[in-house]
Amino acid sequence: MKINTQKTCEEIKSKLHNCSDIKTRSLKVFNKEVTLVYIADITDNQLLNDTVIYPLTNINKKAKGKIIDFIKEEILSSVEVTEITSVEDACQDILQGKTLLLLEGADKILGCDMEKIVVRAVEQPPTSLVIRGPREGFNESIKYNLALIRQRAKSDDLVITDLELGNITKTKVSVVYFDSLADKGVVKEILKRLKKIKIDGVMDSHYLISYLSNRPHSLFKQVGDTEKPDILVAKMLEGRVGILVDGSPIALTLPFILIEDLQNSDDYYGQPVHVSFVRILRLIGVIMAVLLPGAYIALSKFHYKILPLEFLVTIMNSSAGIPFSPFVEIIFCVLLFEILYEANLRMPQYLGIATSIVGALILGETAVNAGLVSPPAVMIVALSGITFYIVPSMAGQFSILRLVGCLIGACLGIYGMLLFCVYLVAYLSDFDSYKSPHLAPAAPFIKDDQKDFIVRKPISDMRKRPKSIPNNKKNDDRRVDNDNEN
Amino acid sequence: MTTKINYRQTCILVFLSQIALKFLALPSLMYMESGNESIFIALVMMITDGLYAFLLLGLARKSGEKNLYEFMCACLGKVITKIILVVLLLKYALVVANISKGLEFFVVDNLYTEFKWHYYVLPLIAVVGFMIYKGINNLGRVGEIVCWLIIVGIVYIALKSFSSADAESFLPLFESGVKPLFDCSFKYMSWFGSSTFILMLFGKIDFSRRKPWQMIRYILIAIALVQLVYFVFYGIFQVTSPTHSFCLSDISQFSSVHSSIDELSWLIVSLWIVAQAVQIAIYSYCIVEALKFIFNIKGEILPTLIVMLYIALLSLIGENTLGLERFFFSIYASVLSIVAQYIIPIIIWIAYLIRSKINKAKTPQQQKQTNLKQTKKVAQKRRAG
Repeated sequence: MKINTQKTCEEIKSKLHNCSDIKTRSLKVFNKEVTLVYIADITDNQLLNDTVIYPLTNINKKAKGKIIDFIKEEILSSVEVTEITSVEDACQDILQGKTLLLLEGADKILGCDMEKIVVRAVEQPPTSLVIRGPREGFNESIKYNLALIRQRAKSDDLVITDLELGNITKTKVSVVYFDSLADKGVVKEILKRLKKIKIDGVMDSHYLISYLSNRPHSLFKQVGDTEKPDILVAKMLEGRVGILVDGSPIALTLPFILIEDLQNSDDYYGQPVHVSFVRILRLIGVIMAVLLPGAYIALSKFHYKILPLEFLVTIMNSSAGIPFSPFVEIIFCVLLFEILYEANLRMPQYLGIATSIVGALILGETAVNAGLVSPPAVMIVALSGITFYIVPSMAGQFSILRLVGCLIGACLGIYGMLLFCVYLVAYLSDFDSYKSPHLAPAAPFIKDDQKDFIVRKPISDMRKRPKSIPNNKKNDDRRVDNDNEN
Repeated sequence: MTTKINYRQTCILVFLSQIALKFLALPSLMYMESGNESIFIALVMMITDGLYAFLLLGLARKSGEKNLYEFMCACLGKVITKIILVVLLLKYALVVANISKGLEFFVVDNLYTEFKWHYYVLPLIAVVGFMIYKGINNLGRVGEIVCWLIIVGIVYIALKSFSSADAESFLPLFESGVKPLFDCSFKYMSWFGSSTFILMLFGKIDFSRRKPWQMIRYILIAIALVQLVYFVFYGIFQVTSPTHSFCLSDISQFSSVHSSIDELSWLIVSLWIVAQAVQIAIYSYCIVEALKFIFNIKGEILPTLIVMLYIALLSLIGENTLGLERFFFSIYASVLSIVAQYIIPIIIWIAYLIRSKINKAKTPQQQKQTNLKQTKKVAQKRRAG
């Protein structure tokens, strides 16, 4: 490759379709023409001036050897300078925010990293609000996110493997794990699956989920996610592997087991007894969220003799004059709830408050007064709706399961609901991804992992890494220092 | 997902099969024959089943990676193996029929006023079909989840009504001698013999973390639960026991502590449906395995469909159950059960012992050659499969 600044510059511009944001700056260095090519919007001008333009225009040394090598080694003060030997590579690098230095007659192009990162500040993630514990969350820059991980894990054991995904977007994806803790087979499998991805663009980490899941069509979640670096590092310390995607504030974690969603980062910063109590509440909440409306339909349609007499009378009185069956009532309320939720979620904040008041108070009250639905039906759906968000990451799955539960309750009663539960357990028992049984440590029962299942023991008692997650068992003893045994 | 179940899951499946059929009509049926002393029949039969569970697990360990068919072929030859498998198939079919009929009556009488079982059986068939298609590992895991719910439920129901049971009504013991006990145990033989399902788990149990005390614990829990419930049942109902066909729900309903059945009891009684579904799945799985061995069927789909069809057919004869009931109480059912439950495991043990003696008598070189031949045969068959 022999550089002709004007020609090469034109070639690069033409390959990038002469985009208006591609800028050039010509200088004279050692009586030779030097052209800088960069994309203005993604280049840090200050940095470019300080580390490239200023040093090039204020040279007081004599050139030794090849001028291009001299410039690279003695003149430029950029942190990262790469040598590029083809126009194609030069085009790729300029898109990554590099400034290209073209020297007349040289045999290579220099690429200086000048990327201007536009990011929001490190904030508390809205999906993982905590009372105790770290409040910082990931943002959309993979560099910042990796830095947050590095800050928490100052270990030579930390491995970061980079990939580029998306034929057009060329999005950077980083696979992070602790070398001595993660199962090599799992890491290999994840990398294999990621490398196989053929897609135009990766806009968010969730794009990768269907490629990493064993059953992409399933309703149930098979890949964990988190917006918090403390959670990600804690999971990696258990042997999991994290996946970060540039442009996404959500990191993925693998392998994933169901109980992870019932656990919260707060759990590890609070009193074990209280945390255990809260986890039991969450479990009851999950059961109520999915089964309560269906059970109400089943009881009022088929098994009213099970209900206590006083409650039955209350239901009968409040349902008198309602033109619809309990099933229609509940479905009406459930759909209304879902519509209100969707509307609230997408509306501007000031309107959202108004909608929730209109929805919850006026619509509910009016529907009851108009005799469309009975107060118990509204109460049941509201209760189920509230319990949904006890585990917000599972709310999507719950809303579908709740509807199925309602349908089964209306058709088959309690018998059908119980069979539905058996089916769910059997279905989830069959979910094994990346060597992890989905219902572990309940099924298969893993005695050692019960310390952090429903009941959480003090962290000092968790001497071994969870067996539910495949990890390097040889390093088990490193989890809690043996000196702390007393 | 592995194709093997661990030792703990095996224990739980043994526990679930031990309590299967014990909490519905059996106590009231046995009372008709042998009165209060039926409690001792349950005790002796369940201890025997527990001992057989150990015997069969011992055999399963000896079988190594071989399944029942391969193991028996090596010891008894193909023809006898197939005959034994047919007998076992009939036994499993009998148990599935018994449990599904029990579930049908339980659901119809306790939970619904208007009920068409042949319509309601469809979701049961779907769930059972799914579990057996997914294999023994899935069954083991489901068992692990439901097991504790069932134990807590039964203990709650029994203890809640415990104070209503009259212990004195059990005295004097053995007033009419022991003959009625023998007659009764013979007549209701098909309600016992729960360990036979272990035969179909040969080559599918991971013995690497074997803890025999774990098995003893689960068998003892099963025996204790049955004894507790029977004590409360006979203690409350005494001579009217034969009129109460649904042990668990009836205990709860007629307890003097609660004049009417309370809400929690209903919930727990309903949980028994879950237990029944899993128990049907365990024995349906055995039918699937037996069918595969007998007819040399490859894959799970066809035998699973056959079992699903069988359960559907059972629901169709729900309207006229007299013939089926007669068969359950007939001498044929009892003889079939004795052969399948108690004689076949002994035959296999003896055959295995003779075979190993013959093997020992051979020179090491001959042994090596025989082992090599057998391994090659198994490998060839598996490759063909």
